[in-house]
Amino acid sequence: MADARLARREQITGWAFIAPALVLLGLFMLYPIVWSLWMSFQVGRGMNLSFGGFGNIQRLTQDVVFLRALGNTFTFFIIQVPIMIVLALLFAVALNDSTLRFRGLFRTAIFLPCVTSLIAYSTIFKSMFATDGIINQGLMAVNIIGAPIAWFSDPFWAKVVVILAITWRWTGYNMIFYLAALQNIDRSIYEAARIDGVPAWARFRYLTIPMLKPVILFTTVISTIGTLQLFDEVFNFTAGTGGPADSTLTLSLYIYNLTFKFMPSFGYSATVSWVIVILVAILSFLQFLIARDRRRPS
Amino acid sequence: MSSLKLTAVHKSYGSVEVIKGVDLEIKSKEFVVFVGPSGCGKSTLLRMIAGLETISAGDLEIGGTRMNDVDPSKRGIAMVFQSYALYPHMTVRDNMGFALRFAGVAKDQIAIQVQQAARILALEPLLDRLPKELSGGQRQRVAIGRAIVRNPQVFLFDEPLSNLDAELRVHMRIEIARKATMIYVTHDQVEAMTLADTIVVLRDGIIEQVGRPLDLYDDPANQFVAGFIGSPKMNFLAATIVEKTTSSVTLELTNHGRARLALPVSGGAVGEAVTLGVRAEHFGEPGAGEVDIALDIDVAEHLGSTSYVYANRGGEALTIEREESRNEIGMQTITVSIDPVRAYLFDARGQRIR
Amino acid sequence: MSVTPATMAQAARRTDARAAIRAPADPFAMVRRGLVYLLLSIAAFVSVFPFLWMVIGTTNSSADIIRGKASLGGEFFNNAVTFFTQVDALRVFWNSAFIAVVATALTLLISSLAGYGFEMFRSRVRERVFALLLLLLSIPFAALMVPLFVMFSQARLVNTYTAVILPTVASIFIIFYFRQATKAFPTELRDAAKIDGLKEWQIFLFVYMPVMRSTYAAATIIVFMANWNNYLWPLIVLQTAENKTITLIVSALTSAYTPDYGMILFGTVLATLPTLIIFFLLQRRFVEGMLGAVK
Repeated sequence: MADARLARREQITGWAFIAPALVLLGLFMLYPIVWSLWMSFQVGRGMNLSFGGFGNIQRLTQDVVFLRALGNTFTFFIIQVPIMIVLALLFAVALNDSTLRFRGLFRTAIFLPCVTSLIAYSTIFKSMFATDGIINQGLMAVNIIGAPIAWFSDPFWAKVVVILAITWRWTGYNMIFYLAALQNIDRSIYEAARIDGVPAWARFRYLTIPMLKPVILFTTVISTIGTLQLFDEVFNFTAGTGGPADSTLTLSLYIYNLTFKFMPSFGYSATVSWVIVILVAILSFLQFLIARDRRRPS
Repeated sequence: MSSLKLTAVHKSYGSVEVIKGVDLEIKSKEFVVFVGPSGCGKSTLLRMIAGLETISAGDLEIGGTRMNDVDPSKRGIAMVFQSYALYPHMTVRDNMGFALRFAGVAKDQIAIQVQQAARILALEPLLDRLPKELSGGQRQRVAIGRAIVRNPQVFLFDEPLSNLDAELRVHMRIEIARKATMIYVTHDQVEAMTLADTIVVLRDGIIEQVGRPLDLYDDPANQFVAGFIGSPKMNFLAATIVEKTTSSVTLELTNHGRARLALPVSGGAVGEAVTLGVRAEHFGEPGAGEVDIALDIDVAEHLGSTSYVYANRGGEALTIEREESRNEIGMQTITVSIDPVRAYLFDARGQRIR
Repeated sequence: MSVTPATMAQAARRTDARAAIRAPADPFAMVRRGLVYLLLSIAAFVSVFPFLWMVIGTTNSSADIIRGKASLGGEFFNNAVTFFTQVDALRVFWNSAFIAVVATALTLLISSLAGYGFEMFRSRVRERVFALLLLLLSIPFAALMVPLFVMFSQARLVNTYTAVILPTVASIFIIFYFRQATKAFPTELRDAAKIDGLKEWQIFLFVYMPVMRSTYAAATIIVFMANWNNYLWPLIVLQTAENKTITLIVSALTSAYTPDYGMILFGTVLATLPTLIIFFLLQRRFVEGMLGAVK
């Protein structure tokens, strides 16, 4: 090579730019996750650990609380993510119309919730959903319900509040991604479709959705990760218990309790956390497959 | 001292070779234009000279010094980029003085040099504007100004998005080309012809021919250069050599009823399939040349001073240029003559038969 | 192109269709338009109402809030006094601000350096590393918190700002975001800067950063909000009251047996103000920055 020196310098510079990030990620991500894998095969209390083989995995299958937390997490995921994605898409498409008045105002309003701190909004929701609170009063005033709902002491309604709260907080965030993607689509594509007589729903279904697919996939994966790690909201709604009767206990909250509340059981909590890792990996992969498959029949 | 010398220069990306051995010498203060179709490697070659692309093999010398490993800023070059690459967040003044700032030139000295360049390019009223507040032509001038300020020995000019306006062209000739060696990349052969002292025609990473503009026009080395230089494109007629003497060959034109003509060349062999090249402007009136051919007119364009007649025979399309002609209006056919002295002969591989 | 009757008819149809698109008379379109406004108005109301509720709440007593009183009351001053007597607000605010500002600055610097490095210096090895990072993106924090906690206890860094900040600084998401945005950065600018004699770090500092300021603005909003609102990790790693962030303190107030909502809502307003201010200051750039990233 005639110019090995320039090429080598280019290589060194390239690594220099990413080195700080790599060092930090290695130290605070790669190393802990590998360590946690190793720990998940350890049993014992506190730091007195010994190799326990698949003992922790066996314990998982018999742990009723874990199974409930897993079920709750899945419920939140399956119901909340689709609702939020659909709403976000709907708002984005509506706001993408340049003839719409007050676009900026609507956009800012809908995005506003994700500016609040998680703790602020869980406090607000907790006070709004008090048994004598404004939500019950409002619902009774328009005769949707006859008697106040005990939002936080009923296992079903407690879940509903959690889902409402997350949807409120994150819909605008996802909407911004779609809006940004929509604005990059050439408008003349839609004009051509209109001239060809394609109805509005079909333009949405066969033009907008396919063109937004990468962004939808991205936000779905991000939302999946977020929902599977759900912690702050339930922790604050229930003062850390995941009640009533574990009905809002999530995997993350369970891990937290295993580690910092009960007698610390590092090995077992590492096993539970790997359940999340594996779930996220499987779900992301599935979503990826679905997004890819739809591309073929055309 | 601002001569350039490229010796067996190669460039490959992985297994793909884009520059396949270029040898070239450029004299000091010469105005050289790299021309060729897109993808021919002309921009890559320019970027290798600039130091923006590494040189995979071979040597680059500027002013007699090997520059392969030298940092772009220390090669004594300046470059005007295709989209001008003005720093969008800086005023015209800061854009033009940016390089000097990093070369450690004193502030008042920078101001003087920027002022000078701005005066030459009539940019003085624009010095405090941002690039986005300028028109396309103004941006181009700023880009040139930024290069002038550095006082380069070699001035590189990547294929500009829009052609230079006439005024700028004059400036370039006077202000830059007189002081520095200039390498200009374009796909536009007309621009190449008007600007260059020397044209370098490239194709597929290889130099096809180097020469003065009129030398390339009058004496192309091969069919590619013949077709590339000159507008409209040179016409090519299929032919076969049927007779040969030491100083001439006789051809039979495939699509013209075996019409024959003799060319004063010494190469070629009897029976060889060849291509006859005739420029649109070199077809003569019937009877003026050695052989007449009749063509069916497809369409005729009359521009006033010049007319172009697009015609064909046997599927072989030809373009004929006529001065101030009105004769073809309403006509279905046209007859023209070919003058052997103004015709070129190429073998099956496209090489010139002389 | 030749002009045939067919293409002319097509052109005519097109102008007709254009006219039809502009014509407002279609009753269906009017209804649809109305529905869109209704939907957006409801969404906007639902989105903004809790904020109003929060602000109104600061003027009411806890009992009134629980009873759903949605009108302004006279308790604002009381709530403020209660909050400031129970919480060392200055200290707590300082903790939050210091952590969020330092973490945001470091995150932006380190992640944008990496994004720039990955995009500008392509090599097969680095592409593999990048793919690995994308895999790591899906690792939830819950899986890291136990080992991280043990690591920081062993390093005797528990209950320090350092412990809160360090693990958040290299964000894969933000690296990814910057790499995407860098694709829109004109490489010719980098070439021009090289010829102008800038070293790579100078190009980054004097050309890339100013040119990409919309991207930085959008990232600032995202990262600052994430850090200011970060809850789980500070909850684990900050143990004494004088080091806790406002988020942790307000949260602790709500978990009281009978929470004083007037005072708490006053605290949430304080806790929300900085992110709101940042958002409104950078909003225009935020949208620009997001546009760049999704391209």
